[in-house]
Amino acid sequence: MAIGVQSIPMRWAAGSLDIARRQKDKTFTPAMADVLRKWLDPSLLALVQGTPINCLVVSWSSGTAADAEQQTSLKPLLDKARQAGLDVVGLIDGPGDKTAAVAAARAAGLSAIAMKGNPPANAGIPVIAWGSSDQSLWSADAPVLAISDASWPGVSQANDPAGGPTNLPWVDSNGALIGMAQAMGAGKGVKSVWVAVDPPTTVKQTAENFLLAIADAQASGGRWVISLDDQLRADLAAKTAASAATLKRITDMLAFFEKNNATRAYGPMARLAVVSNFSDPMDRILGEQSLNLLPRTREPFRVIARSQALAASLDGLQGIFYVDRELPDAALRQKLIAFAEAGGTLFVRANWSNPEGTPMQLSSEEAYLLFSERSVGKGRLAVARQDELDPFFTCADIQNILSHRGDPMRLYNGPSMNCVCQVATDGRQGVIHMLNYARRAGGDPAVVYVKTPYAKASFVSPEIASPVPLQLAVQAAGGAELTVPKFAVYGAVQLES
Amino acid sequence: MKRNITRRECLAGAAMAAGCLLLPNVPTIARAAAPSTRPALPPARAGKVTIGRCKTYGPELVTTLATMFDQLGGLGGLVKGKTVAVKVNFIGVRSQRLGDAKMEDTFWSHPSMIGAVVHLLGEAGAKQVRVLEGPWSSAETLEEVMLSQNWRPEDILNAAPNVEFENTNYLGRGKKYSRFWVPGGGWVFPGYDLNHSYEDCDVFVSLAKLKEHALTGVTLSMKNIYGTTPITIYGGQAGIDEPAVRPQGGRGEVFHFARRAPSKSAPQQIDPNYSKDAGVRLPHIIAELNAARPAHLAIIEGINTATGAETNYGSRPQAAVSPGVIIAGTNTVATDGVAMAVMGFDPMAVRGKAPFTSADNMLQLGEEIGVGLRDPKKNEVIGVPIADALFDFAAVRTKILQQQRGGRAGGA
Repeated sequence: MAIGVQSIPMRWAAGSLDIARRQKDKTFTPAMADVLRKWLDPSLLALVQGTPINCLVVSWSSGTAADAEQQTSLKPLLDKARQAGLDVVGLIDGPGDKTAAVAAARAAGLSAIAMKGNPPANAGIPVIAWGSSDQSLWSADAPVLAISDASWPGVSQANDPAGGPTNLPWVDSNGALIGMAQAMGAGKGVKSVWVAVDPPTTVKQTAENFLLAIADAQASGGRWVISLDDQLRADLAAKTAASAATLKRITDMLAFFEKNNATRAYGPMARLAVVSNFSDPMDRILGEQSLNLLPRTREPFRVIARSQALAASLDGLQGIFYVDRELPDAALRQKLIAFAEAGGTLFVRANWSNPEGTPMQLSSEEAYLLFSERSVGKGRLAVARQDELDPFFTCADIQNILSHRGDPMRLYNGPSMNCVCQVATDGRQGVIHMLNYARRAGGDPAVVYVKTPYAKASFVSPEIASPVPLQLAVQAAGGAELTVPKFAVYGAVQLES
Repeated sequence: MKRNITRRECLAGAAMAAGCLLLPNVPTIARAAAPSTRPALPPARAGKVTIGRCKTYGPELVTTLATMFDQLGGLGGLVKGKTVAVKVNFIGVRSQRLGDAKMEDTFWSHPSMIGAVVHLLGEAGAKQVRVLEGPWSSAETLEEVMLSQNWRPEDILNAAPNVEFENTNYLGRGKKYSRFWVPGGGWVFPGYDLNHSYEDCDVFVSLAKLKEHALTGVTLSMKNIYGTTPITIYGGQAGIDEPAVRPQGGRGEVFHFARRAPSKSAPQQIDPNYSKDAGVRLPHIIAELNAARPAHLAIIEGINTATGAETNYGSRPQAAVSPGVIIAGTNTVATDGVAMAVMGFDPMAVRGKAPFTSADNMLQLGEEIGVGLRDPKKNEVIGVPIADALFDFAAVRTKILQQQRGGRAGGA
């Protein structure tokens, strides 16, 4: 099977390379090393048989003397995987002869390799770009981009519990990284974005932690490379009932997303687009943090790579945040200004030379805003007043300037939740993915507001047996509210016209 | 009785001659330099409080309020030709509802209530009505805050001629903050710097919600005035020397726990070693603010509200309830005293007794500083009798706790 959007990957940590990798961790014990040796046993592949997992990622080469032993010890596992119809991807990292490692992978019959940087010429095997979320990853010519510097999703454990502009808790999510990778990979044939993050070793993971990692990626159109923690790996090798139950919940969550995969063809339900190449380090910080914080202000968004913006459709948008200090070329600038002239609001940085339009007279109570506004045709050009922009206040001010009158959606309660809003191309169906980073149902049900007048709504979740119809309470001010059943990790509101 | 009156109060004197009793029963609002001595405070005067029954936010609301204001002596003499500032209550994180009940049905001033009050003020001849509040950690306009709750702000803006909103959490439309000195010198702070709106008005109305408070026991028309203090000066992220440009966070660091001082440009704490017990600080500060910026009219709406606390804490036994009452009066202490009685609480309770289990009695302090009298027996209480309007908040909590324990339901 070709590696691509249908690949549902699992990190199969086993053998000497993974032992060497983990030995850098102070919490790693000899017992854990034994477990990693046990996971070379082909019989353990029974754990994924009959589940949606169809692709294993194994450590293949780290440029050390242990490579040969690793590749030899993996052979029985690889043979069994091939017989079972599983793809196997070999992870190549570290220094060393990449050409030799690739050749060995080809000879061993691996489905693909995953590596950072450019593969050797004529690799003769599909290559997954596997690395940090930066230009080298995004510029890779690969069917899959795997982000290796992702976060472990959840409510932040940082010492400072203060949240963002809404005072909601900070949550760690990979939605921003996935959005950036998808935008930067658009037009390059990128079919899938993977999130390659292992569970933290410092705290015991519950089933809900793994489920959230899956949902956090899936909601944004990516996939988490399933990765088990040491305890679960040990318990599965020992065939405990509890570990089998946890694995079943993981695979059931994967099956849920496969069953409800029609939304993969949907686009963002958003009035705001964030445009950036995320290349300049400071632009990257502002852009990435904006993508992290906009969900906390409940402002849905699209991500458009600056390099793709000229060709991108701006239909349905009311606001564009042009993040980059580097000014657009003439054609793109003309397109962005035309957007504003037609009634949209274009947000730009302070170095936007010769700003179009005429300054708007704002009241003194708007003096605190980070942007000064200019009237351009039917719309506005909002120019940042200062070079450095606080991402918190930037997101708050953008939403404020666009006005809550046009909010596509709002969320009440669910302080630890994020929503990812999508709509079908014909606009007749929509979905609001709801992710609960607290990983347990709260005391109050979440209430969702949608502006678009849908006729029917239902709630689906792997946590309930069948869809629950939701009542759309039409609001006198327009739009409708829906009360969502409580859920621990993930649920989705499905909307139909 | 002789008393000091301001120029604005003089204008209302004519109305007194006409029989209007809705007069500013307030001490002088000192705006000049800080008093160098602590003058003796005039004793608090009796007020007039009325209770009205109102089950819904429909047409009966305006009718009920009109009757109540007439019972207090009529609005005309108080507001005709005047600028009226109405401080409403939009407390806490705006997205945190109690269950799926809307904010206006639990913790916030209801838009229909605000609109009805604005309408009646306009009908009584107010030249301008300004609706004021400092929403949590935000400089967004009140219009934007209302839109975020699916309200129609235009309904309030159009309820009377010349209606405005202003977010008073920061400088807003003002060029500078206005300083209000506490009569008698105060206990905690000698004065407070507030948004200009609280000075640039002839009449000040405290429009509150009938609620309990997790710390101060109750939050009514007195506590509503606590929200006049700008976060840019009194917030945890306030500027050190000068006010911050935009508000962020809450007032706990400065007011509750004295972990930091207000911006140095504002009056500083009288005694740096003053108690750091929030149960002492907050009631004293609330009383000071009520004396420094007294209200001419206090209105407490309890058509729909919530029990248990002032906002959704998540961990407390709380419920959305419908007492169906409105209380209005000529000063905040008297009005709060009657409201507490309607809630089933004793306004004469001391600290340690419900509802003041963790805090000093702010009504008692308000009385000491001359704002009004807290004992309903010492005020003129008209309209629906307290006994008929009674809605036992504590009983609701008891019932919730019993249900949580799986016991038999008690009765409220």
